[in-house]
Amino acid sequence: MSLFWIVIRQLAEIEAMATSKKVITREEWEKKLNDVMIRKEDMNKLVMNFLVTEGYVDAAEKLRMESGTEPDIDLATITDRMAVKKAVQCGNVEDAIEKVNDLNPEILDTNPQLFFHLQQQRLIELIRNGKVEEALEFAQEELAPRGEENQSFLEELEKTVALLAFEDVSNCPVGDLLDISQRLKTASEVNAAILTSQNHEKDPKLPSLLKMLIWAQSQLDEKAVYPRINDLSTATLEDPTV
Amino acid sequence: MPTATSTTATATSANTSTSATSGIIHRLSSTDQDVKLKALRQLKNQIIGNRTKKLSFLKLGAVPSVAAILAEAVLAADGDRINSFNKNVIVQSAAVLGSFACGFDAGVQAVLDAGAFPDLLRLLSNLDEKVVDAGARSVKMIYQSKLAPKYDFLQEKNMEFLLSLLNSESETVSGLGASIITHSCKTSVEQKILFDAGVLKKLSSLLEGSLSQKDSSLESLATIFKDNPEVVLKFVGSESGKALSSIIELVKDKFARTRLLASLCLIVLRNTSPCYLQDIAIKTKLVNTLLELLGDPGQVGDEASFALSSLIAQKEDMQKLAFENNAIDKLYCHLQKDSLNPRRFEGILLALADMCSKLECCRSRFLSSQVLNSVVDAVAHDSADVRSAACICFKSVARSIQNLSAGSFLTEAVVIPLVRVLDDPSTSVQVAALGVISNIVVDFTARRSIFIRCGGVKQLVQLSKSMDAAIRLNALWALRNLMFQAESKCKEGLFMELTASLLASLICDPEPFVQEQALALVRNLVDGCISSVEYVFAEDGILLDAVGRQLQSALKAEIGIQGMYVLSNVATGEEFHKEAVLNQLIPHAETGAQAYIIKFLQSNDSRLRTAAVWTVVNLTNSLSPGAVDRLEILRGAGIVSQINNMQNDPCLDVKLRVKTALGQFKTLDTCLSHSS
Repeated sequence: MSLFWIVIRQLAEIEAMATSKKVITREEWEKKLNDVMIRKEDMNKLVMNFLVTEGYVDAAEKLRMESGTEPDIDLATITDRMAVKKAVQCGNVEDAIEKVNDLNPEILDTNPQLFFHLQQQRLIELIRNGKVEEALEFAQEELAPRGEENQSFLEELEKTVALLAFEDVSNCPVGDLLDISQRLKTASEVNAAILTSQNHEKDPKLPSLLKMLIWAQSQLDEKAVYPRINDLSTATLEDPTV
Repeated sequence: MPTATSTTATATSANTSTSATSGIIHRLSSTDQDVKLKALRQLKNQIIGNRTKKLSFLKLGAVPSVAAILAEAVLAADGDRINSFNKNVIVQSAAVLGSFACGFDAGVQAVLDAGAFPDLLRLLSNLDEKVVDAGARSVKMIYQSKLAPKYDFLQEKNMEFLLSLLNSESETVSGLGASIITHSCKTSVEQKILFDAGVLKKLSSLLEGSLSQKDSSLESLATIFKDNPEVVLKFVGSESGKALSSIIELVKDKFARTRLLASLCLIVLRNTSPCYLQDIAIKTKLVNTLLELLGDPGQVGDEASFALSSLIAQKEDMQKLAFENNAIDKLYCHLQKDSLNPRRFEGILLALADMCSKLECCRSRFLSSQVLNSVVDAVAHDSADVRSAACICFKSVARSIQNLSAGSFLTEAVVIPLVRVLDDPSTSVQVAALGVISNIVVDFTARRSIFIRCGGVKQLVQLSKSMDAAIRLNALWALRNLMFQAESKCKEGLFMELTASLLASLICDPEPFVQEQALALVRNLVDGCISSVEYVFAEDGILLDAVGRQLQSALKAEIGIQGMYVLSNVATGEEFHKEAVLNQLIPHAETGAQAYIIKFLQSNDSRLRTAAVWTVVNLTNSLSPGAVDRLEILRGAGIVSQINNMQNDPCLDVKLRVKTALGQFKTLDTCLSHSS
């Protein structure tokens, strides 16, 4: 059969599917799934990538011992990275900065935005602890020069210093800077910068694969009825409802 | 912010910061090793990411102290006494020096002056991985500045060392190797020697490596390709272009910086050897990638517009392709954003300038949006680079004959800021502004008066007396265009402002380019109605004498051309004018010198031949009474026989004028034989 006719036939099949949805039974589906070969090593790598990126160093170590999967990054660096992240999360920003500089002095020297956000977080912590004098001094000495270099930093600085003007910060328009989520935001920014400096992806691959799965299912929903995965945590195939 | 509190805070902060700063400096020279190490670490954490602190520690002499600590520690390590403490001192001091050198030229200079560079280089051959890493990082920082010493590739041991760096397992070290190439490879000899040493192969293999390896490899490759078609040819030919396909692939990389560097590498390759990368898909990909990178908020976005410029500059086909991919609209869209940093602003303006440099479709698209307003505003920007770029962009758009004819640019809103910027402290801005004015005063709708009313002429005349030759040149150029086909009232005003003596001295300027423009200006002055011919006779004819003198000694064809057209225009006047021209052309009999017009008639430049024949045509116009006598003088000087020899001139223009001249000669000769 010529290529032309193959194309025509496939188009017709898709056309047919579009009008009435094709039904795929659990049997057929599982048979198809079994035909797909996924190497165990690849699965392990995927899990390892997740553990390493998210910083679960003990789990990564266990996985390596049990499966022989080599992490794509020196596990010791994960401990350092997690220490930095934790320091920011606990509000010990100065400590975090020193740790990053020990890890790689280039990171903060070449990343003005991250450096500013860390200094800003330091200021927030001073304000949180009621050290008004110290906070003002710090803002003047450390942050104001950065604001002069960059307009958007200046705006962020103004917002942060505004915290001092309010008696009741829980009720002020910039109060969310004192929220724990601000610490988490800064921590994840540092985490990402360290990963990038180590030539590592800043996001694990697993979540994007799951997103792709959801996208693929919704594409397929338009064309067919098939055993769907509704609960991602268990990944059980639901029977198709016709 | 409450004002009262902040004032007190300034006072306290100044005190505490100074004492803390000098405390660290003091402790750096402590004899207690622990105190010293702690001070080093503290210093490092103070300066990283903080330019202000770098500067203040620099002023306090921190760099020589740290360099001395490093030197001492390296010496001790050489004596086989390396222990973890010593190692820590080395790592910390290298990090401090590296941070001083990071993105801060004053710091680089200080590190070099303190003699720390050789010590940092020695760290690269250390056995400890951490020491090597710290050393490599600091040396790399230095090599990212243009102040770094030039690496001599021609020395064999240097090349060996470079290869060992590139072959290193450590990313920092191989990245350093690439940085050295990017910094120091300048000549084609160096490019060739790097190629012969197999560096390209090594760099190509780094294209498969990590993010930082890819990036530094792409930069080095571009450096080795730049303007060296021989190396490009060998690179593209090797391994059936496998490396080239990897670079093309990297234009689609997920990291913005990698996409930019891969694009830049391909642009260099293309500009070096235009025969490659002609595939429409690749060209479109490059254009779209760069347009998309304009949106990057960081440095990549700043540089993307410059890359786009180098891709499309001087290339009409690329400009067309970019136009079809909405480049004008996209650039405009980025131009409208608030708080553009000066570098980005400059880049977008220059890219727009290149887009509009050749194609009318681009200019009309530009003018149909509101871009021109933004560009005119940018003429008054704080940054000199932005002001200059705005003028260059405007100049490009003002090439549009269509819009010049419509007089679209000669409005007060446009002219006033332009005249103001003629006073700019920066020469390059002045030159760029003169460029725009040169274009917009070529006007067909008699709207020059707006320019004159805004004080433009006075400014231009002032600038034509500048000490800077480039400014004199461009000011004259603008005046020349202003004079082009101007009505007699306008010419009169211009001439009053300029004066014959100033023009005469400009015709004799030491710079040939200035001479040429001055002559061209006079040519436009005496063009048109007969009364304007009189200008060259003002002040005892110093202008005409100056023209004659310049023609006598003219070395450049362009000067001969402009000068001959001045004479040619004057020769259209009355008898008296024609006689004056003839006197300039024919040297006095006693000197015995050959008339320079003979040299012009024999020139290789057809434009000069045309101008020379034209002058003769105007002198021998058979309707004027003195023509017969003038012909005899010309014949005596050998000019008639020279023109006779030019009947088959290869240039049609010349041939046509020669035919006219010979026709006139014939008529005059017939008149003569009839009357005798």
